[in-house]
Amino acid sequence: MTDLARRGLLPAGLRDVLPPEADHEATVIQRLLGVSAARGYRAVKPPLVEFEDSLLAGSGAAMGPNMFRVMDPVSQRMLGLRADMTLQIARIAATRLKKLPRPLRLSYAGEVLRVKGDGLRPERQFGQVGAELIGSDSQAADAEVVLLAVEALETIGVKNLTVDLSSPRLAPAVVAAAGLEPEAAQRVREALNQKDQSAVKRLARQAAPTLVELLKITGPADAALAALKKLKLPAEAEAEARRLSEVVALVREAAPKLSLTIDPVEIRGFEYHTGLCFTVFARRVRGELGRGGRYVAGETVSPSLAESATGFTLYMDSILRALPAAGEAKRLFLPYGTSPAEARKWRGEGWIAVAGLEPGDASGEARRLACTHVLLGGAIKDVG
Amino acid sequence: MTANDKLILALPNGRILREVMPLLRRAGIEPEAEFDDPETRKLQFTTSDPGLDIIRARSFDVATFVAFGAAHMGVAGNDVLMEFDYAEIYAPLDLAIGKCRISVAEPVELAGRDDPRTWSHVRVATKYPNVTRQHFAARGVQAECIKLNGAVELAPALGLCRRIVDLVSSGATLKANGLVEVEHIADITSRFIVNRAALKTRHAEVSPWVNRVAEVARAA
Repeated sequence: MTDLARRGLLPAGLRDVLPPEADHEATVIQRLLGVSAARGYRAVKPPLVEFEDSLLAGSGAAMGPNMFRVMDPVSQRMLGLRADMTLQIARIAATRLKKLPRPLRLSYAGEVLRVKGDGLRPERQFGQVGAELIGSDSQAADAEVVLLAVEALETIGVKNLTVDLSSPRLAPAVVAAAGLEPEAAQRVREALNQKDQSAVKRLARQAAPTLVELLKITGPADAALAALKKLKLPAEAEAEARRLSEVVALVREAAPKLSLTIDPVEIRGFEYHTGLCFTVFARRVRGELGRGGRYVAGETVSPSLAESATGFTLYMDSILRALPAAGEAKRLFLPYGTSPAEARKWRGEGWIAVAGLEPGDASGEARRLACTHVLLGGAIKDVG
Repeated sequence: MTANDKLILALPNGRILREVMPLLRRAGIEPEAEFDDPETRKLQFTTSDPGLDIIRARSFDVATFVAFGAAHMGVAGNDVLMEFDYAEIYAPLDLAIGKCRISVAEPVELAGRDDPRTWSHVRVATKYPNVTRQHFAARGVQAECIKLNGAVELAPALGLCRRIVDLVSSGATLKANGLVEVEHIADITSRFIVNRAALKTRHAEVSPWVNRVAEVARAA
């Protein structure tokens, strides 16, 4: 390995983002945050590193094996580098912003770090952008976050979105009503995650007929809701199904053209969620663009601070794959000696204007520095 | 329709392919003539449906293609699905073909005097290191796996290790190599698998295929 190569090598799953992608990513994040800001979501910025136990409380436990840790020489305590930001936002809402009126709308953007990438996401560091709506249990709140995620993605130009709605308490309520032992119930949940009908039939005993029907229901929202209505469900599952149809109606009203599907048995990744959840896909983009749903916030700080919340997280690595490649912007070369007033004028008109630092052949220099235009005698010429 | 818009069905080479093709043909999937030519170097084939292509790959790679969404549907044994446990794969149908089991085997003379309850550590040659580690961990035994891609049954005779974890159907291969099955890990059949995102974003195209294959599998 040459010296140059050795200095350039990064650890697995980490990378340098270069022009024009780095500019592009920054612009995309600003526009995503702009959409939530226009709906009254205010940005918060938690630190990169926190005490390990606050990052691992409650739903954070699932991230434990995937979190980098360092010893803090100052406090002599173990610190964790965040692998996800949702829990940090919930902590802020329950502590420093406890006194603010509810519902509380917060947004955030930041990088997270994971010990290991997985198959679909080899990146160990990637950006998250999200919004949380804390302290309201209404179906209007559920619909608001779904629509916000969709509007944000459409604003930046992601096409052919599909939102998959699920209710992670629905199928477990059916399983619980059948009185299966915890270990058997766990095996049924695993079979449901794989949509493995034959295993569900074999394992779920009297819950099997209903669960198999639920597996078949997966698909476009309208047909799925009609089929759900016909099913005889235990009371708790019935309430979840009702909430699904109410939220679908609200989302439909605001976004009639959006492709909506329902998956009443999707549980994987929503183990800590308590109500309506959703995943956003785009046709021909592998993996999810984002996901979100209802959970209990503040519980990890103190049980008395528990409040119902919903929100979503968008994954910048998938989103950037879903967008057309970043184009190179037009750049204007200002030859050496161009007056500051003139430079200000062109920049004021929106040009990216690069100043020459030495006298010489202006057109040649413009080409060498990848400028598309050059200022010659007060007029803009195409470099060609 | 651009090439990018076609649905891709990934099929494993070998024995499973011979068993699954009659099923797929009954479901209305008729590949181009070259598909049955043993000499062909082609890996991707058109079918009687202009919206569907078939690719052929090794069984482990079928799961990888489908997990990443490079193929939208596929056929894979649950041995492969257990080994990878990809969250992005749904396995809605048990095709009830390719029946076998995944088992622990060891040399006949070892099996006679061995007491599995005393193990704390075993060294195992296998194509399935994850399944093997999980199986032994569940019993409190640490398994050190030597990953092989084939000819696993040779390992004990050549002194690579004393035990193997592999697929067993008739048991003839084990017997020919002086091995005996000592523990059953799971029953294996082939499954029809679907990429998670494809099922959501292209439901109208993918689900009719799932239903048609389900019908013929039920009738079989």
